[in-house]
Amino acid sequence: MTNVITNNNLKCTIALAALQNVIDPEIGISVVDLGLIYQIDFSEADKKVFVRMTLTTQFCPMGESLTGAVKRAIEQTFTGEEIFVELTFDPPWNHERISEEGKQFLNR
Amino acid sequence: MFAGVNSSQPVQNTTHKVVIPFYAYAAVSLFAACFLMLISAGSFTGHYFNPHVLAITHIMALGWGTMIILGAGYQLIPVLIEKSLYSIKLAYWSFFLAAAGIPFLAYGFYYFDMGWPAKWGGRLILIAVLLFVINLAKSIQKSKKGNVHAWFMLAASGWLFITAFYGLVLVYNFTFPIYERNPVDLIPLHAHTGIVGWFLLLVIGVGSKLIPMFMISKYTNNKLLWLIFLLINTALLLFILLYIFNVGSAIFLLPVSMILISLMLFASYCYKSYKQRIRKQVDGQMKISLLSVLMMLVPVAVIFLLIGFFVSGKENLRVVLLYGFVIFFGWITAIIFGMTFKTLPFIIWNKVYGKIAGLGKTPNPKELYSEKLFKVMSLSYLSGFVTFIAGILTIERVVLTIGASLLLTAAFLYCVNTGKVLLHQNPFQNDERNNQ
Repeated sequence: MTNVITNNNLKCTIALAALQNVIDPEIGISVVDLGLIYQIDFSEADKKVFVRMTLTTQFCPMGESLTGAVKRAIEQTFTGEEIFVELTFDPPWNHERISEEGKQFLNR
Repeated sequence: MFAGVNSSQPVQNTTHKVVIPFYAYAAVSLFAACFLMLISAGSFTGHYFNPHVLAITHIMALGWGTMIILGAGYQLIPVLIEKSLYSIKLAYWSFFLAAAGIPFLAYGFYYFDMGWPAKWGGRLILIAVLLFVINLAKSIQKSKKGNVHAWFMLAASGWLFITAFYGLVLVYNFTFPIYERNPVDLIPLHAHTGIVGWFLLLVIGVGSKLIPMFMISKYTNNKLLWLIFLLINTALLLFILLYIFNVGSAIFLLPVSMILISLMLFASYCYKSYKQRIRKQVDGQMKISLLSVLMMLVPVAVIFLLIGFFVSGKENLRVVLLYGFVIFFGWITAIIFGMTFKTLPFIIWNKVYGKIAGLGKTPNPKELYSEKLFKVMSLSYLSGFVTFIAGILTIERVVLTIGASLLLTAAFLYCVNTGKVLLHQNPFQNDERNNQ
């Protein structure tokens, strides 16, 4: 969770656990281990969750599936809350964002 | 807190509905070409300028190679140029026109009827290519300046248009003689604008983006790619000028050497991408794609041999046939075999599971096709490829027939596996319907 910005550590841990099930179908590791998730913020008053994420490449053909999957996985975990997913390429993704677990998987 | 939108922002990728017909058409074309090769194996014992060889070559170049590249191109243009495709309608029209034109042209060649079938076939293909060029150019207009991959694609599509236009001129030349030269003498220009200008530029432009991307490589070298781009285009222009002005054979070594250098530079680019990859496992599809990079060097070796024959005043028809065969059935087919099962399963996965991803377990895209069938296909293809080469060199009809049978088997297995992917449906969909 070290490289994900949040305003609620506990809820962010729960969200990231849910996102561990969202696997990039080409690479075979989760969007969390791939380092695609930049920020997860929670608004307690409005019951809203904001996710800022990226893709390994702009116009990635799997982009719509991945952002949709992230939205659905968080919706399932935080029922009743409204989920906002924002896609950003600033900063662009690079391989240094891959977690140690992800690197171990890719090194197999 | 950021000013988010109430859903993910749309990533404007090309719809699968445009891409899928191209893949299906290409699979059927490969089968048709291999079938014609089996029933016309005897044609490969004679001169390369004969109706059956011309028909098979054009089915391979247009129906197989070009159709799948156009389909994959429409999917990959946004990835390469980082902008959406300009027009989906133009993409559909390019499919309909090319799909209608190719059988007419192939029929015209097979029965050597250079009347309306070949002419209408050529016209429809030319319009289809023009629509592709317009669509690509308009898409690139919106993209960042100086994107080397975009330039490779744009130049390749320009050469494809020149190839198709000149091809149509050659068809007309049979009924309304435009050139005084023997029609056989005019083929090398048409063939090389297509092979080098269209196929080679496109494969390098797309491969230089996809190979590092699939291997998650740290390596990038745009300067090297620009150098390759300049070398290939200059070599091709030089070749055309030398050919038009009918300069001696030995000087053709210059453009051929430039192509050889550019291929070696591209091979080194792929090797460095491979060495600096983060993803250590390289799957079968990537292996066959990397192998096809090395296979590019085979036709260059053959053309050095051809120039040697021309310089010594002897024309070797076997080597000319071999040259065409290793390009269309070797390099182009190998790269398509590898890339089909690297791209198509993801396109279909996106279509079937894209809207339910994240809600539970979904199959891996690799599970959409049969890996076992892929291996049997690869074996049948490689053995057929080598056997057919032996048949061309020994002028043995039986060997050619065995080689063509093995290639037809590979084509059949390719069609079955592609069909398996194309027809894939969510296995849980019926259960959900029954439970409702």
